[in-house]
Amino acid sequence: MAELALAAPRIRPRLGRDEWLMGGGLLVLALYLAVTLLLPLALMLAKSAQDRDGAFVGLANFARYFGNPALSGTVGNSLWVSALATAITIALAFGYAYALNRSRIPFKGLFRLVAMLPLLAPSLLPAIALVYLFGNQGVLKGWLFGESIYGPIGIVIGSVFWTFPHALILISTALGTADARLYEASESLGASRWRTFTTVTLSGARYGLISALFVVFTLIITDFGVPKVVGGPFNMLATDIYKQVVGQQNFQMGAVVSLLLLLPAVLAFFVERWAQQRQISSLSSRAVPYQPKPRRSRDRLALVLVVTVAVMILGVFGMAAFASLAKLWPYDLSPSLRHYDFSATDGGSWASYGNSIRLGLYTAAFGSLVVFIGAYLVEKTRVAKPLRTATHLLALIPMAVPGMVLGLAYIFFFNAPGNPLNFLYGTMAMLVLATIAHFYTVGHLTALTALKQLDPEFESVSAALKAPFYRTFWRVTTPLCLPAVLDIALYFFINAMTTVSAVVFLYSPDTTLASVAVLNMDDAGDTAPAAAMAMLIVVTCAGVRLLHVGLSRELLNRTQVWRRR
Amino acid sequence: MTTPYLRVRNVTKRFGHFTALDDVSIDIHRGEFVCFLGPSGCGKTTLLRAISGLDIQTHGAVEQDGRDISALPPAQRDFGIVFQSYALFQNLTVAANIAYGLENRKRPKAEIQRRVTELLELIGLPESGPKYPGQLSGGQQQRVALARALAVSPGLLLLDEPLSALDAKVRAHLRDEIKILQRRLGITTIMITHDQEEAISMADRIVVMRGGRIEQIGAPLEIYHRPANLFVAEFIGAMNLLPATRIGYGEIQLGSARLACAAEGYAPGAAVRAAVRPEDIVCTGKTNGHANSLRAEVREMEFMGPFFWLSLGGGELGEHRLRAQLPSQRARDLDLRANDATHLHIPAERIRLFPHGVGHG
Ligand SMILES: Nc1ncnc2c1ncn2[C@@H]1O[C@H](COP(=O)(O)OP(=O)(O)OP(=O)(O)O)[C@@H](O)[C@H]1O
Ligand SMILES: [Mg+2]
Repeated sequence: MAELALAAPRIRPRLGRDEWLMGGGLLVLALYLAVTLLLPLALMLAKSAQDRDGAFVGLANFARYFGNPALSGTVGNSLWVSALATAITIALAFGYAYALNRSRIPFKGLFRLVAMLPLLAPSLLPAIALVYLFGNQGVLKGWLFGESIYGPIGIVIGSVFWTFPHALILISTALGTADARLYEASESLGASRWRTFTTVTLSGARYGLISALFVVFTLIITDFGVPKVVGGPFNMLATDIYKQVVGQQNFQMGAVVSLLLLLPAVLAFFVERWAQQRQISSLSSRAVPYQPKPRRSRDRLALVLVVTVAVMILGVFGMAAFASLAKLWPYDLSPSLRHYDFSATDGGSWASYGNSIRLGLYTAAFGSLVVFIGAYLVEKTRVAKPLRTATHLLALIPMAVPGMVLGLAYIFFFNAPGNPLNFLYGTMAMLVLATIAHFYTVGHLTALTALKQLDPEFESVSAALKAPFYRTFWRVTTPLCLPAVLDIALYFFINAMTTVSAVVFLYSPDTTLASVAVLNMDDAGDTAPAAAMAMLIVVTCAGVRLLHVGLSRELLNRTQVWRRR
Repeated sequence: MTTPYLRVRNVTKRFGHFTALDDVSIDIHRGEFVCFLGPSGCGKTTLLRAISGLDIQTHGAVEQDGRDISALPPAQRDFGIVFQSYALFQNLTVAANIAYGLENRKRPKAEIQRRVTELLELIGLPESGPKYPGQLSGGQQQRVALARALAVSPGLLLLDEPLSALDAKVRAHLRDEIKILQRRLGITTIMITHDQEEAISMADRIVVMRGGRIEQIGAPLEIYHRPANLFVAEFIGAMNLLPATRIGYGEIQLGSARLACAAEGYAPGAAVRAAVRPEDIVCTGKTNGHANSLRAEVREMEFMGPFFWLSLGGGELGEHRLRAQLPSQRARDLDLRANDATHLHIPAERIRLFPHGVGHG
């Protein structure tokens, strides 16, 4: 105490122009995230404790939900179907990743590419293809021994398909960082192959596996597209929200189910972060990359697995493409583009395709701008430490919020009487806001990683030279991070094109979207046009992806001189 | 004496409960070259960042040129800075890097160009303007970073381990260049280093730090020959530190030898530590012509080229060990070999005493 009393007064750093601007920018970003994310979610939380008239009823809605077996039975359904599909996905993805990283099969690049294809399609696409393959008029109907594809079987197969690349990326990263020295040590100790596999391979990849497990489980249990198309009478949580909200206009019950859906997502979020940190710390910088030696039995087995999976993936896409091009399935299979003329269908049109493109472009442009500037401010602002931390945490929230939940929260928020932002309701702008918020986290983390790779003293040097921070941001930081910014833009575009879950609550007659059109056309029985629209999305995403490759390469070429170290 | 150009007064910096700088005060004069020297984590960078405003101190004041800048953001201070990592803008050419601060001051284009050319010549890279930093060697890049910092003619130059990332040859070369440049421009300079040789050869004054505190400030010769405490004595250069006992007036007993030295401030019978530099021990071989001498045996001899490292023990030293530097030429004259007995002369004024065990790191 005495020391404190005697000590000179604490220095209060004065703020210069840079500090004010950056701090102000940070505040604006925090407010932006609060409005587009936190407030809607908070409002939804409140709604779950209100009755239809808005009166507070405590946990009554939850009691009603769990008191009604027809509703609460869905929880069990969702859990076991998601668990089963997760187990299959992880097993397949592990085998595939193992084959790509630890064996000597040919054409690894090609197989990697094929495995990534599902990322370009809405989750509705595999579901529709499944209907063509195993539905009532399906080509391979006999393979199900009389079981129906509509229900758990369809949901499991469809879910495995579209979550496969997500699992593969996570597990592949974990396996790709193997340290050859561990293998040599294990071999020199005379350990059997099996023992090497369990002690070195599995334990090295365990954090990757754990994080893949939780991420995939969350993706599946919160997915709406697959169960909507092939779920049939089998209810899942995500479809329940849709039914409660769109079917029965029971927003309060929708909010209750949303909160249930939030639980696994939040859990997965924390497990994922925990696993990521472990993964990083178990990776020593002196690790020696592992080079697999040829071994015939293993390599042959790996090839069989990889080819089988790749053929299945291509088969699903092929089926969807074929269905969209066949004149009248299954009677007249001659090729025709008539399903691509959406004028005859209910719920789909070229206008919705145009809207999707616009949504994709706006989201990519504004999203990457907001995300990159935001990450810069979070990383580089010298003042306002608590605000930086708070903003960073806000930016991580979307990872733990399922799309359906966000969509519903947006209804509550933008529709709320007295909200000055009410004019946005049903507009393209709101769809853009929702999509940016929905996919914010991955972009944010990508941008942070890129920024952390720059010399941390750029800002110090710039301040010493009296250059305002925005000048250095524009002339140095942004050019150096451009590849990452392009990646973020691509990520936003593809997700805006393929997502259904958040936007399904938010579109208006003027802003119908291609992915939602797939859903609606399928709902109305226009399955072939639905397949056609889904294929259109795939082709568009693939095209943009190619464009991205070209752009990145061009960028690299032009900047090669200074990228050399 | 004129008023100091830079005054650091009672600066304290805390990170949470950890005190990285504890009541640090330094005065630096215009045109002076000062080195901050100390082991890793002692707070050198923290002090430099407080002076630059990049990381402002929690307590205390910094004054530059009579102006209190304690709380100012870096953009409102007057300094140039160079980092170990160079921090060059990789996507801009060397010329654009150097011009970066000038463009900001809205100088005419021609003037900027003239200044850039001038600076490129100053750092000995007149042809490198259109190149990118990635195309230069480490030493060249650091010179560009220096030119960029000097371009706007700052009143104070701050260098945070500018030479640490370079290999030994380049380092020695650049060391001289920086020193010459600093003399020529007369710019007040603070350089951080944990290489004592660097500090001794470059600095007008050295600030020796440990654990967030200043241990000693002084000219290199002063720090080397009159270390203020045991830590500085051990940290700078090689030093023998032997336990001894103060006996009669101006005398100590070391092993069974009695040596004269300045022993004021120590009571008779007090345990002390005697500090002697290896190069101050004179080997006289079989002859014993000096007063302050003792007898010992050569335990080991290590040939280093211009000199030998001798490890001495036994004789009057008893259990104690002494390291001495013996010029090669003298070793030849004496025909000294391992296991030989020899007389050693230690000039009284070359022995410094420190309290036993206090201030030991
Ligand atoms: N931002 C910070 N937060 C907490 N502790 C810090 C921070 N920056 C520095 N420290 C601590 O303050 C002490 C002094 O650090 P500083 O970087 O000044 O050391 P240094 O003398 O420059 O060392 P080196 O020679 O390794 O560069 C260290 O113990 C360090 O861990
Ligand atoms: Mg340092």
